[in-house]
Amino acid sequence: MGVFRLVIAGVGGQGTLLASRLIAQSSIDAGLPVKIGETYGMAQRGGPVMGHILIGEGAESPQIRPGEADALIGFELGEAVRRGVTYLKEGGLALVNTRKFPPLEVISGMMEYPSEDSLLSLLGEVTSDIVKFDATAIAEEAGDAIATNMVMLGAIVESGKLPFCEDVVTAVLRRSVRATYLETNLKAFTMGKTAYGDSSK
Amino acid sequence: MSVHPVVIDEPGKKVLLMGNEAIARGAVEAGAAVATAYPGTPSSEIGNTLSRVSDAAGLYFEWSVNEKIAFEVAYGASLCGQRSLVAMKHVGLNVALDVLNPVSLRGVNGGLVFVSTDDPSQHSSRTEQDNRWLAKQNCIPVLEPSSPQEAKDFTRYAFELSERVKLPVMIRTVTRLSHMRSDVDLGPIERLGRTPEFDWEGFSYRVAGFEKLFRRHGERHEKLDRVQAEFEGADFNQLKLDGSEKVGIIGVGFAFTYVLDAIRKLGVESEVAYMKLATPHPLPTEKIARMLDGVEILLVVEEVDPFVEMHVKSLAKTIASSATILGRETGDLPREGELSPSILDSALGGLLGISVDRVDRSGVEEKVGELLFDRMLTLCSGCPHRASIHALKKAVRNVKGDLMSVVVNGDIGCYGLAHAPPMSFEDTYFCMGASIGVSQGMERVGVDTIAWIGDGTFFHSGIPSLLNAVYNGLPLKIVVADNGTVAMTGFQPTPQSGKTATGKPAKKVMIEDIARTLGVDSVEVVDPYDLEAVQCAFERMLEAEGVAMVISRRACSMEAVRAMRPDKPVPYVVDAELCTGCRICLSQFGCPALAWNEESGKAWVDSAICTGCGVCAQVCPFGAIRLEGS
Repeated sequence: MGVFRLVIAGVGGQGTLLASRLIAQSSIDAGLPVKIGETYGMAQRGGPVMGHILIGEGAESPQIRPGEADALIGFELGEAVRRGVTYLKEGGLALVNTRKFPPLEVISGMMEYPSEDSLLSLLGEVTSDIVKFDATAIAEEAGDAIATNMVMLGAIVESGKLPFCEDVVTAVLRRSVRATYLETNLKAFTMGKTAYGDSSK
Repeated sequence: MSVHPVVIDEPGKKVLLMGNEAIARGAVEAGAAVATAYPGTPSSEIGNTLSRVSDAAGLYFEWSVNEKIAFEVAYGASLCGQRSLVAMKHVGLNVALDVLNPVSLRGVNGGLVFVSTDDPSQHSSRTEQDNRWLAKQNCIPVLEPSSPQEAKDFTRYAFELSERVKLPVMIRTVTRLSHMRSDVDLGPIERLGRTPEFDWEGFSYRVAGFEKLFRRHGERHEKLDRVQAEFEGADFNQLKLDGSEKVGIIGVGFAFTYVLDAIRKLGVESEVAYMKLATPHPLPTEKIARMLDGVEILLVVEEVDPFVEMHVKSLAKTIASSATILGRETGDLPREGELSPSILDSALGGLLGISVDRVDRSGVEEKVGELLFDRMLTLCSGCPHRASIHALKKAVRNVKGDLMSVVVNGDIGCYGLAHAPPMSFEDTYFCMGASIGVSQGMERVGVDTIAWIGDGTFFHSGIPSLLNAVYNGLPLKIVVADNGTVAMTGFQPTPQSGKTATGKPAKKVMIEDIARTLGVDSVEVVDPYDLEAVQCAFERMLEAEGVAMVISRRACSMEAVRAMRPDKPVPYVVDAELCTGCRICLSQFGCPALAWNEESGKAWVDSAICTGCGVCAQVCPFGAIRLEGS
C-alpha cells in the first residue's frame, strides 16, 4: 500500500494535537510506520496550528507537498479552507467543523469573518467531497466543547479513509484518555461517526 | 496514569515519540546522571520530558537560570565522571559560548552531550543561525539526526563517543525534527551506577600541574582526528554510489529526508548517487572524496548555512576534483529559509533535466488570501500583560502627553507581543535581557525609554544589566511583566516559583528583593488586574528621579485557569442595555474573549474562553461589562 496523507488544521487549544497522536498511535498498533509534522511556531491559544500525518512505508520527511493530501480534518472553518486549498489533492475528503473561531482581526473590528458559503465555495474549487457540520455543537451536546476533537476523529474513522479499522482507534482511545473524560469522549466519537453519515449523504 | 514512554524499560518496544522526547530517551538509555536546560522553542520539550521522568529515570534535572550556567552545571558533573546532557535552542548557545571553548580545550571526563535546536525559517526565533559554525570554531564533533529514531540513537552514541575521545559532542536538530513525532524502537536502559569522583589527575592544577593542563590545542586536534577516523567508517554516513551516476547529492541530517522524498517522487533512484551525512563536523572526507571522484555534479543539501558545502568545496580543491559543487552558497538551493520536499523536487529535477509535476494552487490561494484574515498573533484571553500595556499607554499619555515620546524596548517572551495591534506599544526586542541594556545607551544620549521585560528573562540576563544602570547612574524606567512563569515555552518555573523543575520545594527569590539590593531607587509591586492602581504606579515611575521599577505581577491566565480545574472561572457578561456599541473594549483592548454581535451592534463575551479577570469591565467607559450573576 502507498502512503496515506492527512492534514489537520485548527487553532491552538482545540485538541488537534491529541487527535493527531491518537491517529498515530493507532497506526503503530496496526503495524504501520507513521510520521507527524507539527507547525505551531509561536502559536499559543488561538493561534493557527497545522499537523501533517503520513502513514505507511515510503515517506521520509514529515511534510506533505501541496496538492497531495488524501484527506483534511478542519477543526475550524477558516483554517480548514486555508489549508485545504493548498494541501488537499483534487477530490480529497475535506471534513470541516463549521464553527468559527474569530481571530484578533475580527475581534478588533479590522476585518469581518467571511461567510461560510464564500469560504466553502473556494474549497470547492479543489474538491467536491466536503463533509461539514458544527462539530463543536455536537461536542457540547456530548458533554463538553473540548471533545470537538473526538467528534472529528469519529467522523474520519467513519469515512473509512484511514488505513486501519475502528476497533484499533477505540482501543487506543480507551487507554489514552483519562477515565473521568472517557465517557464524554466516547460519546462524542460516536456522535462524530453519526454526523459523518448524516452529512455525507 | 501509564509510565512515560521515555522511561519504559522494554527494549524493542515501538513507541510514538517526538524528536525532542527521543533525545531525552537517548540520555536515559545512556545512563545520564545529570541533565540541564534553559527553555526555548524548539528545544523545550527535551527539558519538559526530563523534568517529568527524572525521578523514574534516576537522573537529576534542572531548569538552569540561563544556558551558560546550564552548561557549567553539566560540565561539573562530567568532571566527576558522570554522564550529563545540556539542551538549549540555537541562540542559547550564544549565551553558553563563553564556556564552550574551555570545555572542549580541557576536555571532558564523563560523557558530555549538548543539544542545539536550530530553527530554519525562524518559526519561533529572532535569528536563523546555524550552530555548526560554533561547533567547528570550538573543535566539537556534531551529529545531525534525520528522524526521531536517530535522535535517540545518536544521543546515546554521542555519550559513548564523548567519553571515549574526551570531547563534548553536539547534537544538532532543526525545528521540524524536534517537533515531529514518529515510531521509535526503544533500546535498553543502562544503569551505570557510577560513584562520582573528581578526576584529579586529569583536571586539577594542584595535582597534575598547570603546564600539563593549560595549552591543549594540539591535543584537541588529535582528538578530533580520532573522531574523524571513526566517522569515516560509521554506517550512519551511508553512501550509495554505483559509479555510473553523473549527479550526486549529499543530504545532511534531517535535510536528507527531502532528498530521498524527491528521488522517489522523480523515480531517479538509479540515476543519482547519494550520501546520507550524519556528521557535518568533522567530515568523513574519504567517503566524500569517493563521491567527488565518481560524479560530475554534486548537490549539497543542508539546513540553514552552506556549512558542509563550503567544506566540500575546500576538500575538492585539495584532491583536485573537477566536480561542480552546488548548494545554498551557489544559489542552486535557496540561500536562506527552511527547505521542503517541493524545493528538492525542483532542484533535483532541474539538475537531471526532468520536468516535475507540481500542483499549482496559487490562483485559489490568492482568493483565500484576499477573503480570509491571517490570524494575527495575540496575547491570550485574560492575559495580565494586556492589562499592563493598556495601563502603561495611559500613563505615558498622562505624564508625557504623547505615546511617541518614549522608545519602548521590549524583551523575549509572550509580552514581546506588545508590538501587535491593538496594543501596538513596543518598538524593539533583540535578545534575552537587551531591553535594559539597550535602553541605557538610548538614555545616555538623551532619548527617553521604557524597558519592558518579563520575569523569566529578568532572571536569565536582566540582573547584571540592571546593576550596570545603577552603578553608572542612569535613571532607567523598567517594567517587569511578571506572570510567574516562563509562559511562552510551556510554563516552566522561575526562581520566584518556590519549586524546582521537578516540582520540589525551592527557596523563593523575589525580583523586588534583587532590585532593592542592587540599589534601584524605587520599586513597586502592583496587580495589573487593578487597572487604576497599575496606571498610577506607572505614572509615579515615569515621574521618578532615579532608577525606577514597577513589577506588574499577576499569574499567567492560562496557568490560573489550569490551576482552577475542574472548576471553571466565572465569566463576565455584557449588559446589552448599557452597551453603546462604541467598540472601545474591542478596538483598544482586544481580549480574544470579547466579540462583536453584528445583528445587535453590541459587544459580547465568549464565556467559553473568558478567564474572569474583569479587566474589560474596567476598560468599558459605560460600565456595561459585569461579572455573570452580579
